Amino acid sequence: MKKVHKKISKKCAAALLAAAMLLVTGCGQAEKTIEGSVENIQPVDITSETESGQTENGDSKPDTDRGGAAGPDQGPETAGGAASDGYLFTADGVSIAMDADAAPILERLGEPVSYFEAASCAFEGLDKMYTYQGFEVDTYPAGEKDYISTVVLKDDSVATGEGIAIGDSLEKLQQAYPEGKLQENGMIVCEKGGMKLCFILENDEVKSIEYRSMALE
Amino acid sequence: MSENERNAESAAEKARREDSTESVENKKYRAWLRGIVSALIVFTSLYLLQRLLVPKYVDDVVEGAFIAEYYGEEKDFDVIFIGDCEVYENFSPAVLWEQYGINSYIRGSAQQYIWQSYYLLEDTLRYETPEVVVFNVLSLQYDKAQREAYNRMTLEGMEWSPAKVKSILASMSEEEHFLDYVFPILRYHTRWSGLSGTDLEYMFGTKPVSHNGYYMRVDVKAARDVPKGRILADYGFGEKPLEYLDRMRELCAKKGIELVLIKAPSLYPYWYPEWEEQVEAYASAHELRYVNFLELQEETGIDYSTDTYDGGLHMNLSGAEKLSVYFGRILSGEMGVPDRRGETELSLSWEEKLAAYEAEKQEQYRYYGMKQ
Repeated sequence: MKKVHKKISKKCAAALLAAAMLLVTGCGQAEKTIEGSVENIQPVDITSETESGQTENGDSKPDTDRGGAAGPDQGPETAGGAASDGYLFTADGVSIAMDADAAPILERLGEPVSYFEAASCAFEGLDKMYTYQGFEVDTYPAGEKDYISTVVLKDDSVATGEGIAIGDSLEKLQQAYPEGKLQENGMIVCEKGGMKLCFILENDEVKSIEYRSMALE
Repeated sequence: MSENERNAESAAEKARREDSTESVENKKYRAWLRGIVSALIVFTSLYLLQRLLVPKYVDDVVEGAFIAEYYGEEKDFDVIFIGDCEVYENFSPAVLWEQYGINSYIRGSAQQYIWQSYYLLEDTLRYETPEVVVFNVLSLQYDKAQREAYNRMTLEGMEWSPAKVKSILASMSEEEHFLDYVFPILRYHTRWSGLSGTDLEYMFGTKPVSHNGYYMRVDVKAARDVPKGRILADYGFGEKPLEYLDRMRELCAKKGIELVLIKAPSLYPYWYPEWEEQVEAYASAHELRYVNFLELQEETGIDYSTDTYDGGLHMNLSGAEKLSVYFGRILSGEMGVPDRRGETELSLSWEEKLAAYEAEKQEQYRYYGMKQ
């Protein structure tokens, strides 16, 4: 009979131990946070060399007339903690990678034309939007820092690293980005290094260009 | 051995067997009892741990407590608001009562998706049938949940019912698990290192954080440089939100409830003209009342330099009270929602609520160093 009791006690102890281990170790799951600001977001570790101005084939197609592009030969200045494997947007010699630390980039870009901040409902931290001549830089908060979430090209005074600007034709876009994939909603998307370069077309003409981080998806 | 001796031995043997059988049964019984008690201890411990570990939403992120607060109410409301922050920050039931005698409640939560609004309506109808349901249309833009934390803040506060189960199933992303909603301890076990005194203080009960679902803010931050919306590849609302809008409309019609669609006057997120056209067309096709407060700045008296606390995203107290005065006129004058200020019990209940409303107002004015 003592054996029976011992077995039951052992089972109970094992159950309690398992429950405690489950609670403390988190069943091996990655830690998630419910309260606080943007959760589950790990800024991309940006350590590789810049590929600004290069297509996947390695061709450089800078369009310096528009002041927005810079090829590898031009040695674009990078900010925000080096470069990214994804597409880079370059303005005034400053290369902007998605998920890069925003502070050094914003410092180099200088005073924006306008600034807007939006608090997420029920969360601390602000999504910030800095508008410059021809483009907008958006950031998201994670921990103590802000990181680049989006770059939106606003007009044809700036262009992508591969030389595409608002108003360019579908044909030119396809030549510059043969890797672009047509989505169901009509958007052409180039995905690389944990970010997306998105083009919206109307009547075979580029109407919108956005660099987007995928960390928020 | 004599026959008597044999009989005595037989009787003794029988007694020993009976004792032995009883003893085995007793031991079995005791073993079962210990098992049950041990199981009870395990489950009670896990329950207490769960109560300790789940977020309490009483200090910083109070929005997570709104949904549950409704269940403590005397459920006899004439107007129920459902929707996202554009309802719980922009309308004041206290003003609707004071000015028009309208008994209303806001079942709002942060980034409440339309399917969650629909199931909150189903949930509400388990207790009462209001005359009017007001739904804010901003969430039509979403065809899937954007963030688990928002799901949690709406779903966890709901009492268990088929509506809650369906809402969870409609909301979960691929990474989420239904069991985590049934046993929140599975989701929150990692909070143990971040526990505070609040978790202990509100382990078994919470304090009210809203005023009939309204989230009060008295501070001011003027709206400026509000960006226009980015160009979208597709301006059409998705199938899922439109399906739930249909279901909401049909459910209201079935219950004899008037469904009113509204767009709160929040300047951001941007409300596209293409979205406006679709809502107007829907309302017109189904003969629903639709009020877009973005187009009624003059009529409501909203001043974006004084009536918002976060640059135009949400109204502050001043803005919410102006909107409520304007909307109350529609509810009362045009839609015939009754003035119930003559009902003694309800009036007494509102007296208490208005006192709490006034007390928080004063507390916030002091906190922000403002004069009323």
